[in-house]
This record gives sequence, structure tokens and C-alpha cells, in this order.
Amino acid sequence: MAELIRLDNISKSFGEQEVLDELSLTVYENEFVTLLGPSGCGKTTTLRIIGGFETPDKGRVYFDGQDITDLPPNQRHLNTVFQNYALFPHMNVGENIAFGLKVSGKSDQYIKDKVKYALNLVNLKGFENRQITELSGGQQQRIAMARAIVNEPRVLLLDEPLGALDLKLRQEMQYELVRLKKELGITFIYVTHDQEEALTMSDKVVVMNNGYIQQEGTPEQIYNEPENAFVADFIGDSNIVPGRMIKDKLVEIKGTEFPCIDGSAEGFEPGQPVDVVIRPEDIEIRPYGEGLFNGEIISKIFIGVHYEMLVKSEKGNFEWLLQNYDEHHVGQKIGMYVRPENIQIMKKPEFDDEKAMELDL
Amino acid sequence: MKKALSSIYIIIIMLFLYLPIFALMVLSFNEAKSMAVFTGFSLNWYVELFNSRLIMYAVVNTFTIAIISATVATIIGTAAVVGLDAMRPKTQNVILAANNIPMLNADIVTGISLMLFFLILRVPQGYMTILFAHITFSIPYVVLSVRPRMNRKTDRLFEAAMDLGASRKYAFRKVVLPELRPGILSGFLLAFTMSVDDFIITYFTKGAGINTISTIIYSQVKIGIRPSLFALSTIIFVVAFVALLIVNIKSKKQEVELVL
Repeated sequence: MAELIRLDNISKSFGEQEVLDELSLTVYENEFVTLLGPSGCGKTTTLRIIGGFETPDKGRVYFDGQDITDLPPNQRHLNTVFQNYALFPHMNVGENIAFGLKVSGKSDQYIKDKVKYALNLVNLKGFENRQITELSGGQQQRIAMARAIVNEPRVLLLDEPLGALDLKLRQEMQYELVRLKKELGITFIYVTHDQEEALTMSDKVVVMNNGYIQQEGTPEQIYNEPENAFVADFIGDSNIVPGRMIKDKLVEIKGTEFPCIDGSAEGFEPGQPVDVVIRPEDIEIRPYGEGLFNGEIISKIFIGVHYEMLVKSEKGNFEWLLQNYDEHHVGQKIGMYVRPENIQIMKKPEFDDEKAMELDL
Repeated sequence: MKKALSSIYIIIIMLFLYLPIFALMVLSFNEAKSMAVFTGFSLNWYVELFNSRLIMYAVVNTFTIAIISATVATIIGTAAVVGLDAMRPKTQNVILAANNIPMLNADIVTGISLMLFFLILRVPQGYMTILFAHITFSIPYVVLSVRPRMNRKTDRLFEAAMDLGASRKYAFRKVVLPELRPGILSGFLLAFTMSVDDFIITYFTKGAGINTISTIIYSQVKIGIRPSLFALSTIIFVVAFVALLIVNIKSKKQEVELVL
């Protein structure tokens, strides 16, 4: 895959507040990249720097090998779908979609065909003469997409485009976006704080916090092998526990020893303090005394597909989050087992910023 | 019972508001010059009004000054709002505070200080000084009414237009200006009414030999007001009333259309 956009050591501050700190990121052609993080992590600023709406204090932006850092947004070959859509309220749907084409001086016939094509693409055939105010949120979202893609950009930037929609519509639009991306064959850079959106749609997820990239990888990598406690906590529900390596492939957590698959080969030395992530669905329930450790169920709720339980361990007095398809009762004493490959060992954070994050876990 | 009381209350308020105006309208059609007794219907005072060069001159002055000053103030005020938008929030707040002071300031202070200003600069007082004064006191009202339209949403729309390839000028003309339009329109109307209404500032900056409606009424009060001015007031009231009626009916219609 060819490199399309490269951010090189980007730093940006607003007044005293440092938003991005020497961020570097490469986006390849035809990739669906998601910038994921809590609000204030710098993801939107990164997108706005790529779009040309902010100028970085330091660092360069390259597009297809060319330095575009100082190029205004109207000269960049990319289009944006804005948060809350930013549709022009005094123009109808057709005029909104035609705006970019009109600016670039296309012929009336070309514009007409192209608007029709774009409306077809977003499943809103025949909407040309509707007013923006007559549209539902989901329809406005589609028009915003159509307005951006008629210009045939090489990259589409999407700033939390589904944030204002309800859950059902959001899930529908996720499939739509993936379909559109396939049909158009262009690069998508997507910003969201919703981890589910990031995992379902992306080829590559970039997890950000405090202006740093915490981890970059496929959705599977991000979910199964979080590199630090922040990523583990932000992506899905997790038990994040401090532990200590006993020896190669054996880790001690809250007084219990767990066999695992990480060891000195991954740079974890005996005696080293580490963070351990165990996903709640990976803790298997066994009869009392037959697992690696025992505990008592202290709460239980049913959340659709499975039950979610809190179990207090006998050793270490730690409350574990468990998910299980079978119903168990509060007060029941159970044994628990975790497969070695489901124990994810992480280094303790190195940055001060991350340490601050760890405290409010 | 409660309902009857509340209707009586409304009726009393309406009477207080409109009875004086009604009295004025009735007296404008009076045959005699009396301010108390209605002796018979006539259009004499309307004839006198239109034949009085002094009054007609004042009417022309009032409305040309209102139109010109409102137009200039609207342009300057709108430009100020656009400029403000690009400033840092701290600077914006300082300038907006400075913008609010002239509105809170007593007219008499503004009037006297403008008069002194013209005297010091040896500007002969007349039509131009009134115009200048009206532009000055209208700008803050325009800023106040356009400013709320220039918000984050407008900024986003501007960015969206740029994103679609528009130049700054084109994006401003096609996207930002239409967003500001309602504010610009109400700012213009506000400036226009303020100008027509103004007496104090006009009085201090007008110099001799020139009058607007408000100053001519004032000067006539001293020598005994003539019913031809009742006639003028009646015409102004009716015009304003009809204009308001049209605007309201129109917006009501639009509302209905939106609901449908």
C-alpha cells in the first residue's frame, strides 16, 4: 500500500494548553483509519490539521509526498464530513451537494448528473429539492456525506459523523459507511470517541490520549493486545490489575499465580511489576476449588446476551468483573479459571500523563 | 370570575396604551384648533401639514437621515462583527464591553459630548453633523443584533465552504452573509427606528436652521402646538402600524407553511 498522508512530529497548543505533542502518523492509500480517544485527546485537532483548518506549531503534513502544511483547505484534495454536518441551511439539498462542483466550475449537466449519482449512493434518490430543515438527523448525515464525496476527494475526513444519531441509526450508518468506502475506494480518516464504532469499521485504529498516540493497530490487536492500561480500559470492559512477573510465563496477581504466555521473550523480567488485563468474558466459572482462584458473587445483572457479575476473590479481596452466559446467584461461591493466552501483560506506563490516567481507572 | 378579571386587566392596559394615541388621531380630524373639544370632522390640518414647507422639510430630513445613517451603521457594524469573530475571546470581550457603554450612556451625555466634539473641531453644525451623530449611536445596536448570528455554527459553515474549495470571499458571500442576514436586517430596522425616534442627540448636534420631526414638534410646543402635527403623528402611527401588521401576517403565514 502506498503512503498517502504523513504527519511528521506535529505539535499544537491553544494558548497554554498543549493539545498535540510531537505526533507522527502515516495513513496509507485506501485505508479506513480511526482516531479514537476521549474528548480532549487531540483527535479532532489532528483531523483539523489534516483538513487545513488549523496550522501546527511544529511539524509538517505531507500529502502524496508533497508538503501541504501551509496550504489552505480549499486547495487540498480532501473533503470533510463535519460534526453536526454543517449543511448550508439557506440552500436546498441539491444546492448543498452541488456547492463544491459549482466552485470548481463544472458544467450544469455534469453537476446535475453528479448530484443525482451522489444521492443514489447515499440512498436518498429524488431529494434534490428538499429543504435541509425538512430532513431527519440521519438524512442530514447522508447529505453531508454526499456533499463531500461528489468532489471525488482522495481522502474523506469524518469528524464524529454519527455522534448525533440514536443507537439504532448509528449501527445502520456504520454498515453504510463501510459500504460507501468499498464502493468509492478512497481513504477514510474517521474521528470518534465510540470504541464500538472504531472496532467495527476500521482497518486501523489509532488510540489517542493527552495528545499522544497510545497504540496503533488493527481492531483485533487493539482489543486483544492492548499495550497499556489506558488502551485496555478505553477499549471494552476490562479487569486491569497490577501484578508481578514471578518467572518466565508466570505472573502473580493479588496473591494468585497465573500461567501466561508472555515472558522474557517479550521483555518482561522476573520480579518486574506489570499491569495485567483480563477481559471479563475470559474468566471461566468452575466449581468451587477447581479453578485457579476462588471468590463469592456479590452482584449480578442481566444485560441482554449475558450476565455480568462482580466476584470478590478470597485472596487479595479484589472485585473481578465477569461475563457469563449462564446464570449464577449472588452469594454463590465459585472457582475461576483464565486460560494463559487470555492474560495480557502490559508494561507499567512510562509517561507522567498516563500515570495520571491510571489513577482514575 | 378569574377569567373576567384577567380580561378587564388586559382591557385597562390596552386603554392606557392606545387611548392617548386614539385621542390624538381623533383630534387630527378636528375642525377647530381646540385640544379638548371635537367640533366637527375636517381634513384641514392634513392640508396645512402638506402645505407647510417647514414640516415637509423636517420629514424629508428625518427619513433621509434615518435611511442613510442606518445603512452606514449597518455596514460598519456588520464589518465589526466579522472582524471581532477573528479575534481572541479576551479582546472580543473588551471590545464588546466598549460597544455596550454608549447604549447604556444617557443620551444627554452623548449629545453634549458630540456637540463639544464638533465645536472643538470647528465643524459647522447641520445636516452632516446630525448624520454623523446618528451613525455613531446606531453602530452598537447593529453590532448587538448581528453578533449572535456569528457563532460557532457560522464558523463551521465557513469552514465547510472552504473545505469544498470555495475561496474566502466566495465562502463569505455565499454562506456567511446569508446566515447573518436576519441579524443585519433587524440591526438596520433598529438603527432606523432609533434615528427617527431620537430627539436629544439630534437637538444638540443639529445647529440652527435645520429640523427633524422631533425637533420641530419640540420647538412648536413652546409657541403652541398646531393640530397639523397631530396629523403628522397620525400618519406616522398608521404607517408603522400597517408595516407591523404586514410583517406579522407574513411571518404567521410562514409558520403555518412550516407546520404543514
